[in-house]
Amino acid sequence: MVSVINTVDTSHEDMIHDAQMDYYGTRLATCSSDRSVKIFDVRNGGQILIADLRGHEGPVWQVAWAHPMYGNILASCSYDRKVIIWREENGTWEKSHEHAGHDSSVNSVCWAPHDYGLILACGSSDGAISLLTYTGEGQWEVKKINNAHTIGCNAVSWAPAVVPGSLIDHPSGQKPNYIKRFASGGCDNLIKLEEEDGQWKEEQKLEAHSDWVRDVAWAPSIGLPTSTIASCSQDGRVFIWTCDDASSNTWSPKLLHKFNDVVWHVSWSITANILAVSGGDNKVTLWKESVDGQWVCISDVNKGQGSVSASVTEGQQNEQ
Amino acid sequence: MEKMSRVTTALGGSVLTGRTMHCHLDAPANAISVCRDAAQVVVAGRSIFKIYAIEEEQFVEKLNLRVGRKPSLNLSCADVVWHQMDENLLATAATNGVVVTWNLGRPSRNKQDQLFTEHKRTVNKVCFHPTEAHVLLSGSQDGFMKCFDLRRKDSVSTFSGQSESVRDVQFSIRDYFTFASTFENGNVQLWDIRRPDRCERMFTAHNGPVFCCDWHPEDRGWLATGGRDKMVKVWDMTTHRAKEMHCVQTIASVARVKWRPECRHHLATCSMMVDHNIYVWDVRRPFVPAAMFEEHRDVTTGIAWRHPHDPSFLLSGSKDSSLCQHLFRDASQPVERANPEGLCYGLFGDLAFAAKESLVAAESGRKPYTGDRRHPIFFKRKLDPAEPFAGLASSALSVFETEPGGGGMRWFVDTAERYALAGRPLAELCDHNAKVARELGRNQVAQTWTMLRIIYCSPGLVPTANLNHSVGKGGSCGLPLMNSFNLKDMAPGLGSETRLDRSKGDARSDTVLLDSSATLITNEDNEETEGSDVPADYLLGDVEGEEDELYLLDPEHAHPEDPECVLPQEAFPLRHEIVDTPPGPEHLQDKADSPHVSGSEADVASLAPVDSSFSLLSVSHALYDSRLPPDFFGVLVRDMLHFYAEQGDVQMAVSVLIVLGERVRKDIDEQTQEHWYTSYIDLLQRFRLWNVSNEVVKLSTSRAVSCLNQASTTLHVNCSHCKRPMSSRGWVCDRCHRCASMCAVCHHVVKGLFVWCQGCSHGGHLQHIMKWLEGSSHCPAGCGHLCEYS
Repeated sequence: MVSVINTVDTSHEDMIHDAQMDYYGTRLATCSSDRSVKIFDVRNGGQILIADLRGHEGPVWQVAWAHPMYGNILASCSYDRKVIIWREENGTWEKSHEHAGHDSSVNSVCWAPHDYGLILACGSSDGAISLLTYTGEGQWEVKKINNAHTIGCNAVSWAPAVVPGSLIDHPSGQKPNYIKRFASGGCDNLIKLEEEDGQWKEEQKLEAHSDWVRDVAWAPSIGLPTSTIASCSQDGRVFIWTCDDASSNTWSPKLLHKFNDVVWHVSWSITANILAVSGGDNKVTLWKESVDGQWVCISDVNKGQGSVSASVTEGQQNEQ
Repeated sequence: MEKMSRVTTALGGSVLTGRTMHCHLDAPANAISVCRDAAQVVVAGRSIFKIYAIEEEQFVEKLNLRVGRKPSLNLSCADVVWHQMDENLLATAATNGVVVTWNLGRPSRNKQDQLFTEHKRTVNKVCFHPTEAHVLLSGSQDGFMKCFDLRRKDSVSTFSGQSESVRDVQFSIRDYFTFASTFENGNVQLWDIRRPDRCERMFTAHNGPVFCCDWHPEDRGWLATGGRDKMVKVWDMTTHRAKEMHCVQTIASVARVKWRPECRHHLATCSMMVDHNIYVWDVRRPFVPAAMFEEHRDVTTGIAWRHPHDPSFLLSGSKDSSLCQHLFRDASQPVERANPEGLCYGLFGDLAFAAKESLVAAESGRKPYTGDRRHPIFFKRKLDPAEPFAGLASSALSVFETEPGGGGMRWFVDTAERYALAGRPLAELCDHNAKVARELGRNQVAQTWTMLRIIYCSPGLVPTANLNHSVGKGGSCGLPLMNSFNLKDMAPGLGSETRLDRSKGDARSDTVLLDSSATLITNEDNEETEGSDVPADYLLGDVEGEEDELYLLDPEHAHPEDPECVLPQEAFPLRHEIVDTPPGPEHLQDKADSPHVSGSEADVASLAPVDSSFSLLSVSHALYDSRLPPDFFGVLVRDMLHFYAEQGDVQMAVSVLIVLGERVRKDIDEQTQEHWYTSYIDLLQRFRLWNVSNEVVKLSTSRAVSCLNQASTTLHVNCSHCKRPMSSRGWVCDRCHRCASMCAVCHHVVKGLFVWCQGCSHGGHLQHIMKWLEGSSHCPAGCGHLCEYS
């Protein structure tokens, strides 16, 4: 049964493009075409507007929360070619940094695992991916991977940092050698894995989609021995990529499902055992891998019902 | 991208055909204007003034109006306009302040017609009257607007804007005598052409210069203005005060604005710096351009719709020295590229989902899906029913709560908080955890715990474990009740049953023992074990009311029913003693093992004849012989842990790891263990389960993990008397030789949780201070400070 706890106006004046929960699941950041980023406190089913961040001059495509060990930090990217990093200080949110290093719309932002420090990857329509690293005292160092995706990059997602054994103290006392990796998806229908080995370079090219890749999501590594990436595309297909053997570094795709419409987003649950997929057919579906390795749809949430129009509201009232 | 697509539009006899194309100009363009036949375009710039014919496939240069050996400054054009009634009549505005008219009908090579040298500075704009053939208007940097009658040599009238410079002038289409002018200071003025003394109306439209304006071709009271403040505003000028109808926010300052023909809410804009693209906006959707033309490599300086009734052809000139014809259908549409949905898996397994509302509305007729129990929170935006839907967008944002099977994480928190990981005998831990799991409806996990207990339980613990076990497990299927009957029924019989006694004695050889009643109890326990494992194995969910059952089974409660053989004091010490006994070579464990080893058949067997102590015992005995060493299960347990970890239940893996400790550690490689630990700790911290997380860190056997707790453990303390840093360890300040950490409330030294105000260094026992602050906000030490504790 659908039960509506509450109904609140986000008061975004245009389409919402992204919604992200923070690390503790208590705050929800939304961004919209109306150029604003809003932060809501969603604890206990409430929705209190905490901040309305204005500073972008175009539609804001994506937001990303940094790990709370660095404070309350939110990054947003926009059509105005800028990336803004917002920070909460004494209860007020303010612009802390603005990155204007792209020549076209910035479509995706993603914070690196906190183990690496404060690093933000930004994928842009100009085909480049830039990496902002906080070097202290308000300074950000910029590295840019040019031509990562021809025509444009639509999504970036970092690999989890936890590499088994990485926490063991090295005899030499040196810091464990993390290899930073992230996946990106673009208009060249490709998923690319970039790796920092001294400098950033393309390590893998995953080919399976036949149209723009809309989203990639690296699964959180919770007890999983394998690396897993989910990708979705304009072509309606969702692939699960796995790399069982880290040494050979071969990735194999498995088709999760072919939808009839564009698939916009894939999102892993915290424990990486469930994948949520949202597509142009106006549905969210939840997928889980069965014992025999097949992905099965365990639930589909048609948000049409949860929505807004009058007839639906009536329907809900009837149900209650 | 169908760049080669061609569009043919029939417009009342004349036919427009063409494709997206461009041609190179010799010099940067400053302005363009289209002939009313839509077949020719004039391009003007500082060093260019040419007419091009727009053909199907290309632009063809038709006429170069820049003639003469020494091009004069009069030909350095800032603006050009083609008369919309007379195909031969053009006017240009020169950077030196001259307004020139051109007559293409002149037979000579030089088509220049008239020259008005009245403005002192650059003329920014010229404009023909829409219906009057001879009326020309100019606006100049010198702040004046002049109206010329082309039949006369001088201006008819001069309008002073009382301001620095005029950026644009436009005759109203609706009102014969009215024109609008825009100014560098942000003002827009409305003039009556017959009254040059003062303007009809003036208002501030923008912050900073207003570079352009355009009257709506249909809604003729509407005026669009564009300014350096990057905004395009649409004003309704029919009302008494200009009313702002729409406000479009572009990325860069707006240099030109042109309403799109036949599309009521569309207008095209271009910028004078930074941005080289041309945008077409739906004014109702002011944040995302409806279309975008990206052909130019430098600033676009002039835009014009090719035909006043055709919405698909747009012409543009640019500083990059090119002239372009854009086809609307070839435009890139940022809206289409935009992601209409946002999706995020929240920490608690809730899904935040934002979807375009028009999508949602279209689907609203669908029957709601009811298979999922959810508690959605809806963020919604009210739709204005008056607004037509097309072209508009808004999103509904909902947070769905998914069921445990769907990824909800409540179980995780509950489990983490309630699991017992250490401090009790293994069997108890297993039982407790199994119970927790079952209460949370996680039967498989509960079963696993039970099996672990069966596998690993050390013999010395059995009696206790069994009792506990029966307590823990029994409730589900009414067994305890049955057992209590058994107790009653069997007690007298069993008490005198020597065989039972003997067999019992055999089993536990030389343990501390035991009179018949104790034996009876133990026996009951064993029977309980047999019976109670069944529910455990068969996963019976509900353990409600078990506490009551406990009493039924408790010796103290049992005794009144069997008074003659009661030794109450002994029953307890007995258990106690056994608990403390280190695991010995006893094999009673096998009784616990048996249900597992023999599988469900044995369980059923033992359950069915529950009244018969004989069969019960014989079952136990048979299994005693088929005992397997716990090592046998090492591989199994390892696989089981891996299974849980891969399922994403790293909590189970770690919990089992901790509970079993040495028993399994050797079977699982160090790195995997460490990975599980770190994953689990990270999860716990996300859920803010700091205490559990700390416990796990403490209990972890992995060195790398346990050292997590040793990071940043230094606490800098100031003496509360002399306010200097405490240098030595201990409770006495070196400088003032007094006890430093006295509780300000009870005046005792605080050892343990000490809370203090960072303002005045006073503080004390957490409980005391909390209590104190309920009544007063002043420092309990009496220093007068208004203490703050965060």
